[in-house]
Amino acid sequence: MKKKIAIAISTLLLSSSAVAEVHISGFASVVGGKVLDGTGVEEFDLGPSFLADYPLVGVYEEEISFNPDTLFGLQFSADLMDGLSATAQVVSRGANDFSADFEWAYISYEVNDNWTFQGGKKRLPLYYYSDFFDVGYAYTWIRPPADNYTWQVFNYTGVSALYNYLVGEWTVSGQVYYGREDSDDNKLLSEFFFLESTREIWKDIGGIVVQFNREWLDIRLTHMQYTNERYIGDVQQVWDGSTERKGKFYGLSVNIDYENFLLLTELNRLSLQGSDLDTYLVTLGYRIKDFTPYVSYSDFDDGEQGEVHNTTSFGVRWDFHPSAAFKLQYDDVEDNGGPGLKVAGDSQSISFGIDLVF
Amino acid sequence: MNKLLCSILLSFVSLQASAAIAVIVHPSNADNIDKKAIENIYLGKTKSFPGGEQAVPVNMDASQSIKETFDTTVVGKSSSQLKSYWSKKVFTGKGTPPKEVPNAEDMIKLISSNPNMIGYIDSSAVNDTVKVIGEF
Repeated sequence: MKKKIAIAISTLLLSSSAVAEVHISGFASVVGGKVLDGTGVEEFDLGPSFLADYPLVGVYEEEISFNPDTLFGLQFSADLMDGLSATAQVVSRGANDFSADFEWAYISYEVNDNWTFQGGKKRLPLYYYSDFFDVGYAYTWIRPPADNYTWQVFNYTGVSALYNYLVGEWTVSGQVYYGREDSDDNKLLSEFFFLESTREIWKDIGGIVVQFNREWLDIRLTHMQYTNERYIGDVQQVWDGSTERKGKFYGLSVNIDYENFLLLTELNRLSLQGSDLDTYLVTLGYRIKDFTPYVSYSDFDDGEQGEVHNTTSFGVRWDFHPSAAFKLQYDDVEDNGGPGLKVAGDSQSISFGIDLVF
Repeated sequence: MNKLLCSILLSFVSLQASAAIAVIVHPSNADNIDKKAIENIYLGKTKSFPGGEQAVPVNMDASQSIKETFDTTVVGKSSSQLKSYWSKKVFTGKGTPPKEVPNAEDMIKLISSNPNMIGYIDSSAVNDTVKVIGEF
């Protein structure tokens, strides 16, 4: 314990410029884009559209727009010493008219070198990129492929335990978590799908993430369960005679970063009361000095005549600055949804932007 | 004027001598720390030296060219790859990157006064208040 204090004091001395041990860091993405050509969805009276961000309803149309993917985030982290810290993240998004909201607010306690407990409001670590979805600088594309990142709930309030072990050549890390989310006026469901104020409740969210990492190989496995309740307008939804339904999520992600070669994959299934919603993505990239050109394919399928769509993307990331990257991406969306289950129709779009961290 | 010329010449000499990076620890640290262990400590994969003692890595400020050389030759990633690696951790509450110091003097001062720290400097700047565990 004494040693820990001594180290804490010396780290405090290191950042002598800070009066209190509060670290401010941040990230930003400024992205513009437009639909080059698209069918829209006639039955919904929707013109040519590219739904780039499902949960936040980030939609590009034929006029160039900077709103769907542009965001600014600030993180404040107070080191209370002895393993205890408090962190808050405020994010302002173009898709939300730049209103600044607390996306994360949690306390963290480092029990030992291997375990950390956290409690508060956090991102739901469902998919591989879910919990750093906002930090464009940390991944290759302009945004994680929209067909996979479709879920209306992306935050939760609860507790989690994070672990990290070095076992021989392997790093084994991950987390277990439990919590709930009550999203009143859920953006995606209210504004895009039901066009009526919708309250989406995910309760008893429980999940586990296990990640194996070794040099150029990274494997992530996850499972999550939750119980769903929903009110559209004031009317509680009933599924098969019940106001509740259970969702079970399974995810596997294998990523390879070998020499300059990049392979990113994700395979996910959500079983929601008997029906399976399957998503996957494959991305190939090749790093040539500061440039990383990539191709990507992502897919969403919940069965014949259901919601079915995919996106083929081409793009390039250019690390033109030590803390910033420029990206240019072309997306070709194919919407094969059944009657009443199309999302935004077919579209071809272009987007470009800068991601940075500070 | 002569003085200026001298110092310019001297800086050339020291530039020439700056080929190697010395990874340094406190003289009391008797642990056997290989390149892989240094990499793991600097990537936050472990918080201990191989012998079990707590390890606190210290980085050179990004403005120092030695940082980039250390990143590529010892940690094995480009500076922007590392930036992206750490931004993923920082903004998800899974870790914080090593603290930074602006120059070799500060690095030596820190390492020589803390048995748990590990750092790196240009080989030519090494003195006997620190112990060199590897040169790269």
